[in-house]
Amino acid sequence: MAILAVENICKSFGGLQVLKGVTLEAEEGQITGLVGPNGSGKTTLLSTIFGLTKPDEGSVKFRGQTITGLPPHRVYEAGLAFSFQLPRLITQLTVLDNMILAARDQVGAGFSGALFLRRRWRRQETELAQKAMSILELLGLVHLALHPAGELSGGQRKLLEIGRALMSDPVMMLLDEPAAGVNPVLGRKIYQKLRTLRDQGLSFLIIEHKLEILLDFADRIYLMDFGQIVLSGAPKEVIENPVFYATYVGETKDAAFSS
Amino acid sequence: MYLLDTLVFMGIFALLSMSLNVEYGYTGLGNFGKVAFFMAGAYAYAVTAALGWPVYLSLVMAALIAGALGAVVSLPALRLREDYLAIVTLSFGEILRIFVKAEQWLAGGVWGKTVPSAFAGLGLSPKTMAWANVLLVWAILAGVFLFLHLLMNTPYGRVLRGIREDDVAVQVLGKSLVSYKAQALMVGSAIAGVAGGLFAQYIRFIDPYMFLPLVTFLVWVMLILGGPANHWGALIGALIVEFFNRGSRIVKDYIALPFDPHNVQFVLFGLLIIFLLLYRPYGLFREKPMRTGAEVEVSKWQSSP
Ligand SMILES: Nc1ncnc2c1ncn2[C@@H]1O[C@H](COP(=O)(O)OP(=O)(O)OP(=O)(O)O)[C@@H](O)[C@H]1O
Ligand SMILES: [Mg+2]
Repeated sequence: MAILAVENICKSFGGLQVLKGVTLEAEEGQITGLVGPNGSGKTTLLSTIFGLTKPDEGSVKFRGQTITGLPPHRVYEAGLAFSFQLPRLITQLTVLDNMILAARDQVGAGFSGALFLRRRWRRQETELAQKAMSILELLGLVHLALHPAGELSGGQRKLLEIGRALMSDPVMMLLDEPAAGVNPVLGRKIYQKLRTLRDQGLSFLIIEHKLEILLDFADRIYLMDFGQIVLSGAPKEVIENPVFYATYVGETKDAAFSS
Repeated sequence: MYLLDTLVFMGIFALLSMSLNVEYGYTGLGNFGKVAFFMAGAYAYAVTAALGWPVYLSLVMAALIAGALGAVVSLPALRLREDYLAIVTLSFGEILRIFVKAEQWLAGGVWGKTVPSAFAGLGLSPKTMAWANVLLVWAILAGVFLFLHLLMNTPYGRVLRGIREDDVAVQVLGKSLVSYKAQALMVGSAIAGVAGGLFAQYIRFIDPYMFLPLVTFLVWVMLILGGPANHWGALIGALIVEFFNRGSRIVKDYIALPFDPHNVQFVLFGLLIIFLLLYRPYGLFREKPMRTGAEVEVSKWQSSP
């Protein structure tokens, strides 16, 4: 059974119909890729799944539980994590604090826990700091851990955005172009990390424009155009399909890879 | 005596400024009705003290009543858009004053209410009594200062600071906004309530005209001058503004000027706020990085090869 099942999601902004009945499924323990031209509604779909925008119609099921229209923190509690296409960091807090903020089940995150379980949360802070540092090591941000996130470069912000999602130990991650703006070597390193996590049982729904990355890492691809799914299947099949070229790349296969 | 009186007022205003710091400085919530919670605390103290309750119980009551009102106000406002909170709190300040003024049975209405002093009947000289008041206010201020310092350097304080900057991001990271914001308003209001209780206890007579929006304005000047999200800033901002507030009244009494220095002062405060927001939005003292123990671990990690 699919871990995430999106059914017939419709969404309009004013007169603009952005999602016109999107139906897709992501399998457990797989990396599901979502591609499509700019403005085809991919980000809107992910925000709708995560409860950041309310759908006009349709339903979202996660592990059999309906999560349609739940507020984002409930979606998070259900086991999902989300990383924004345009990073939304807390720029006044340090990189470390941004990371720890994302952690699940913090003893000291509630008012009474903060006051009365001081010993316990302080121990947890130490553990979370270690965990944060091992993720930051992967992302090459260790030396900036105690700097305000506002001092990071554009690409580093993107890395921290993904780091936060990793920090929250989810069952499934929704990532909006995790490798965009990141140097190619590091981009692949991130995907390798995601693949390791997948092999450990995590599931992913990832928006990605880079075809070679999708080919190498995705288990299944959905192609979206004008708010609808027009094609889906194994990466190879989809990329071979003439429809893919007509809607997405607009050219022949060779031209797509030479650019 | 005048000095001691000033010290008491400085302490009371410092409490108010620190309470606004919880809401605005750390959580980013613009409470423009601070005076209402101050007033609620003052009246809660006055009514319960008149019933013969001991000081500490009356102060607890002042905190509870004001804190509960903070929660009540927050509930409709926080579910709406951000700017509604400003409108709701601002109007709440007015409504509460008009309500107390109109309802004579409650606490004397326009005629005001006398409040028994905590130190009456001990046979203290006026001077000793003044000292006792200074000690009471500053001891509570020290307690609140320490409490808030601890609270803001916890994972809880981290969430509040996150909400201040981007509440959508914090929600995506699994924290429920409404409960955090409501709690911040409750804590802030409870502290303002204690300040109100201390105020009533000290001046021994309160009426609705003491709780004009001007009080809210002064508290904002204190916090913005001192530095939001810094407890020392909130404290020292309160001392400075109250110093000038007092000073201008003395000047008014002793020196003949072609204008009223006390009123001119408020104009200057207004200009000061505009200047600060434009050129020094973090005030005299900047926010300090958080200390939860996690940063220590990171330093260890970074220094090990
Ligand atoms: N909040 C909004 N209000 C109005 N229109 C919106 C809103 N959010 C998205 N849109 C519109 O919906 C369309 C789809 O946007 P979306 O961000 O989902 O595209 P996308 O597929 O993620 O594109 P890209 O690959 O460029 O990131 C766009 O035309 C955009 O203008
Ligand atoms: Mg997008």
